[in-house]
Amino acid sequence: MKRLLLIHGAELIAMALLGSIPLFISNPYVLALLTLLAIYGILLIGLDVTVGFLGQVNLGHVAFLGLGAYAAGLMVTRFGFGMIPALLAAMAVGFILGALLALPSLRLEGPQFALATLSFAALSTTALNELEGLTGGAQGLSLTRPPWFGRELTPPGFYWLCLAMLVLVWVLMRNVLASHWGRAFEALRDSPIATDAMGVGTYRHKVAAFALGSGLGGLAGGLYAFNFQYLQPQSFTYDLMVILLLGVVLGGRKSLWGALVGATLVVLLPNLLSNHTLFRIFAGVGFLVMVVTGVQGLIRKRLRPFQALAPIVAMGMLVLGGFVVENTENWRKAIFSLMLFSVVVGLPEGLMGFLSEFLTQAFKVPPVPLPEPATLDSVLPVRIPEDSPILVLEDLKRYFGGVKAVDGLSITIRAGSIHGLIGPNGSGKSTVVNVISGLYLPTAGRVLLRGKPLPLGSLVKVAKAGVARTFQNLQLFGELTALENVMVALRGVYHSPLPLVLLGLAYKEEQKARAEALTLLELVGLREEARTKAKDLTYGAQRFLEIGRALARKPEILILDEPAAGLAHPDVLKQIEVIQRIQQRGMTIILIEHHMDVVSELCDVVSVLDGGRLIAEGSPETIKRDPKVVEAYLGQPQPPTGGISPLEPLTA
Amino acid sequence: MTLPIFAQMAVSGAFMGLVYALIAYGFQLTYATSKSINFGQGELVMVSAFFSLTLLNLGVPYWAMIPCGLVFGAAMGLVIERTAVRLALEQKSEGWILLSIIGGLFLFSTAENIWGRDDHPFPTPMSTDPIHVLGVDVTRNEIAVAVGVFAIMGLIELFKRRTLLGKAFEAVSADRDAAELMGISATRTVMLSYGLSGAVAAVAGILVSPITTVGPTMASALILKAFSVAVVAGLDSGFGVVVIGMMLGILESLSSFQLGSGWREAPGLVLLILALALRPTGVFGKTAIRKV
Repeated sequence: MKRLLLIHGAELIAMALLGSIPLFISNPYVLALLTLLAIYGILLIGLDVTVGFLGQVNLGHVAFLGLGAYAAGLMVTRFGFGMIPALLAAMAVGFILGALLALPSLRLEGPQFALATLSFAALSTTALNELEGLTGGAQGLSLTRPPWFGRELTPPGFYWLCLAMLVLVWVLMRNVLASHWGRAFEALRDSPIATDAMGVGTYRHKVAAFALGSGLGGLAGGLYAFNFQYLQPQSFTYDLMVILLLGVVLGGRKSLWGALVGATLVVLLPNLLSNHTLFRIFAGVGFLVMVVTGVQGLIRKRLRPFQALAPIVAMGMLVLGGFVVENTENWRKAIFSLMLFSVVVGLPEGLMGFLSEFLTQAFKVPPVPLPEPATLDSVLPVRIPEDSPILVLEDLKRYFGGVKAVDGLSITIRAGSIHGLIGPNGSGKSTVVNVISGLYLPTAGRVLLRGKPLPLGSLVKVAKAGVARTFQNLQLFGELTALENVMVALRGVYHSPLPLVLLGLAYKEEQKARAEALTLLELVGLREEARTKAKDLTYGAQRFLEIGRALARKPEILILDEPAAGLAHPDVLKQIEVIQRIQQRGMTIILIEHHMDVVSELCDVVSVLDGGRLIAEGSPETIKRDPKVVEAYLGQPQPPTGGISPLEPLTA
Repeated sequence: MTLPIFAQMAVSGAFMGLVYALIAYGFQLTYATSKSINFGQGELVMVSAFFSLTLLNLGVPYWAMIPCGLVFGAAMGLVIERTAVRLALEQKSEGWILLSIIGGLFLFSTAENIWGRDDHPFPTPMSTDPIHVLGVDVTRNEIAVAVGVFAIMGLIELFKRRTLLGKAFEAVSADRDAAELMGISATRTVMLSYGLSGAVAAVAGILVSPITTVGPTMASALILKAFSVAVVAGLDSGFGVVVIGMMLGILESLSSFQLGSGWREAPGLVLLILALALRPTGVFGKTAIRKV
């Protein structure tokens, strides 16, 4: 309760303050700045969706501002529409073009995505310049602000309209970003493969996030058009894009407050640069901040020496420049770059990241309360497995060029069993798992789930068919907490359509999701770590979290890919216990493992692979004495009985 | 459009395309060793060109200026590596994208204030009379571009194949971890690649300046096309950039003639978005297998 009061209280006070300023100050210049602040606030919230949540360098946001502005301008000048349809059109243009750009850019990561967005921005500037018949080209486009419900808007009136839009966007975005949508955005930033494997689907979430952010860019563009009432293609170029990135990064990523702080900075920058004294003060303060955080970071060993020193040098250059350079306006790009550099290197969480930690402590803001866990029976009801095969691999093959990683494998897995898959390194175990789970297309062969063919070559479809997996090389969502990791994957809880989520009416299912996720964390022994970020968990805990997250799919078949790899002995024992408890729920488990003690302890049937083929199958006991298996591991025949088997339990 | 004009446009486009190819080759050098590229490469081309012009104005002869320009470019490449790339690589993040953009911005602003915003001509010892070949005019500067581009690309390829250091470069490109285990310092190899890439940028600047003139914005259009060429050809094919570079040069030369010069940038940008959508690894690139 106190948490909500503090957070919402701060939001209310900030917005009320912003809203009441025109009542006391009638300076038109201040009002113009405030209007711009509201517009840039919306713009930066949109940019933060791609830069912060999706974690991609988006160099195309400025294009959506421009296209939105022109859309609104043309709606008014050419077609005589009013303000509301024009704003809606601006938003729609951003949304649709954003989705269209995101569709081909989907498979792209990092640099390629940046290049695609950069090209799009350059292309749209070209188009705005060259389509003179429509846009007026480099001459620009003049428009007059249409009346709002029959009344001419006064400057304060228009400001309040912009502020109302900002508040609306703020509230809606807060709801979406705190829902499973926002979590999916962050999940696909940290591990696209795991996002797909958890049945969430990177595809639609990436498009949705990009379209959403671009739609906000378009809306901001519409307001921009009505604010300046004059548009030119040159206003929406790379220079402005860099300033916008500076705003988001400096304000703090993944934060609405950060976007607002960033917008304030973007609006005030021209004033800072034009006033010598102000600039020197600003540079001095920046220098001090960097010295303090740098020294602090070095002492606490949170920063590398370069991270601490380089920003100090950069800000030092800024201070020096403030005294040497006559006209700071001419050096604005260098100033931006020094500031951006310092923030990116030395203050990666931005101002709000830095402040929110401090404020949380100062006001003793309690963390989000956790509900009571749901009962295990309601989350993972006990299934009585019928006595029949559940998964059948038929003559499965997967070649990589000339390498036959899996070469004609047929295995039948019985429902409710723990089926071991062992073999020397390079025997094709992981490839089998990757084919079953849909990461690779098989070269030939079929996989049948309950007699029906399993979808091939799609992680999402396989996950939705009821097969969940863990990853040998951990694929957790590092920036999300343990609880959120499980909540991302949770199946059968999120039913509310997007409009309800936007309005914040999906609160109940969110609570239910938390309760269920907590139950699963308890099952794998991580309830106490629910609020810890996955990247901060110990290595052992991360392995358990992988299992907990896969369980959230409530799968029929759970594939564990070397879950005990690198675990300490007590953790191995704990893991055996956890896997046994999972099996008691009636789940079928495929276990790839190197620890023979784990295999002997758990597995009902073991299939042994070598060179992509099945060389033996049977109970753990018979397998261990099979001469072919011994040969595969040791490379030389052993007496069939007696002697020491290399596969004796390590801990017996 | 009559055939002679068509041929003339195509030929001068192709020469320009070689410059794009050379800049794109600079991306490939750093991408090979570190999977990163310098988004501020265009500014590197530009400041190297300004630096070389200053040397010429100080009375340094053309042929003595070239090695100085190369060294300057290499040094700037190393500065970018140290300030913008190394930290991000150590953190295994993609922060180098933003940081190298920032680096380019800083260079741009500095150049603007040192050398001014105007475009300057770049003198060469070559005569300006065109040579007539099969009814098409070719300037000596264009021939110099072709010779220079193939010379530097050939030299670097020879260096990679024939010298020990070059083989270390190839080793890190093929498998960074394995190379490190063999006692090759990946960090130093990445530095080497950024140095080479900077030198390549300087050559590009020196070669293109007589054609485009030197100014702070000279590279902003060049770089977009070099990006397109690198992405369309694939970031690991030296042969591909030459082919695609010349094709793009021809294409944009013809399209600016047909549609108006404002559309000059359009074909490259459209090609880039299309290539990214259809074949993210490029026409000549290799597809990688996802591993988990």
